[in-house]
Amino acid sequence: MRLQGVRRFHLARDVEEALSLLSAYDGRGALLAGGVDLLRVPGREVEGLIDITRMGLAFVDGAGGRLRVGATTTLTEVLESPDTAHYAGGVLAEVLRAVAVPPLRNMATLGGAVVSAHPWADLPTALVALGAEARWVGDTEGRGSVEELYQGEFRGLFRKAVLTEIRFPPWEGAFAYEKVGRSATDIALLNACCGLGMDDGTIAWARVAVGARPERGERLPWAEEALVGQKAGPALWAEVGRLVESKVEVGDDRRAGGTWRRHTAGVLVARALARAAEKAAG
Amino acid sequence: MRVAFELNGTPQYLDVDPGEPLVALLRRLGMKSVKEGCDTGDCGACTVLLDGRAVRSCLMVAPQVQGRKVTTVEALGTVDDPHPLQRAFLDAGAVQCGFCTPGMVLVAYELLGRNDDPTPDEVREAIAGNLCRCTGYVKIVDAVLLAARWKREGRWR
Repeated sequence: MRLQGVRRFHLARDVEEALSLLSAYDGRGALLAGGVDLLRVPGREVEGLIDITRMGLAFVDGAGGRLRVGATTTLTEVLESPDTAHYAGGVLAEVLRAVAVPPLRNMATLGGAVVSAHPWADLPTALVALGAEARWVGDTEGRGSVEELYQGEFRGLFRKAVLTEIRFPPWEGAFAYEKVGRSATDIALLNACCGLGMDDGTIAWARVAVGARPERGERLPWAEEALVGQKAGPALWAEVGRLVESKVEVGDDRRAGGTWRRHTAGVLVARALARAAEKAAG
Repeated sequence: MRVAFELNGTPQYLDVDPGEPLVALLRRLGMKSVKEGCDTGDCGACTVLLDGRAVRSCLMVAPQVQGRKVTTVEALGTVDDPHPLQRAFLDAGAVQCGFCTPGMVLVAYELLGRNDDPTPDEVREAIAGNLCRCTGYVKIVDAVLLAARWKREGRWR
């Protein structure tokens, strides 16, 4: 553990108490759930830790084809929920199995993944593709799509608010997730999450998101438009893969080069589309 | 601050520093099977079971276990009377320097608690977060599969 300076620890009983403590610490306190990010940050000093895992925010509810997940639900709890297996072609289970290793999934929470929002992480790309909505309580109650949050100053928001729930809308179709890392448990060098709805062999709707570019996952609306109304099949996946390769915004970092990312983005999108279509048809 | 929790079946009620890492508390209480390796949650040497789930005790502060059950390898068996899972590690030649072994045993224990007939790939996935620098993992996978067979045969406790 690398966090330093901790002088007090609180088990918050409810959101109001967590917010009150957060306010009292005036920037010197931090909300603690899974802790896999907060407690490993070198050199960070936090005077008061506010544990939010005992506030009833650990649940998975799949009623009505939607999925509601409490912010402090661990990734393992989400992964093992039967509701997750049935949602959107089981894509969240695919994504979660790609996140780190079981003991870290036993600790990390879905809310933590939303708030930490590492650009190389698996979940942000999937959350954006799936149209997930975050709900929080701060000065007032708020809600917004994860996609829009990531385009704004969400880090400032969650320094003064408690994320309470993530909601996933119902989808008539299926999603698939593809990732390349250096090993089975590595963070992503690049990832893609794609979804399709079919109407008699024709694509009714499409969602395409690519992440770890190395920027955080974003949807590619022009790729989605190129799919809708077209006949599903290998030729279309290859064509959209080439389109993604030609237009996707990628960059270099110390883990991978932009040229490789550009080519691989096309490959991953084509693979994800093919698998999503297979699931949607099956 | 005072913390109450259960350690290997025994209630504990003691003073902790609010920022004391759980791994440090457990070692202070004599649980020397719990090792501090990387201090970043990557190596798995500090693994313990929290309410039956494998977690990294280096990425927790002690007060987080308030009201919960912590299990270390000390609860499984002793040198004279090892748990069948520990016996399987010995019989399969899965122990060399031993630094990673307690963590390996606990993630295997968690796996076998849910699935007593795992495939080799399921074993590899379960131990993927626990690093071993001696064995090359083959013997560890063999050990977990051997223990699984013993569990299915009723040679378990």
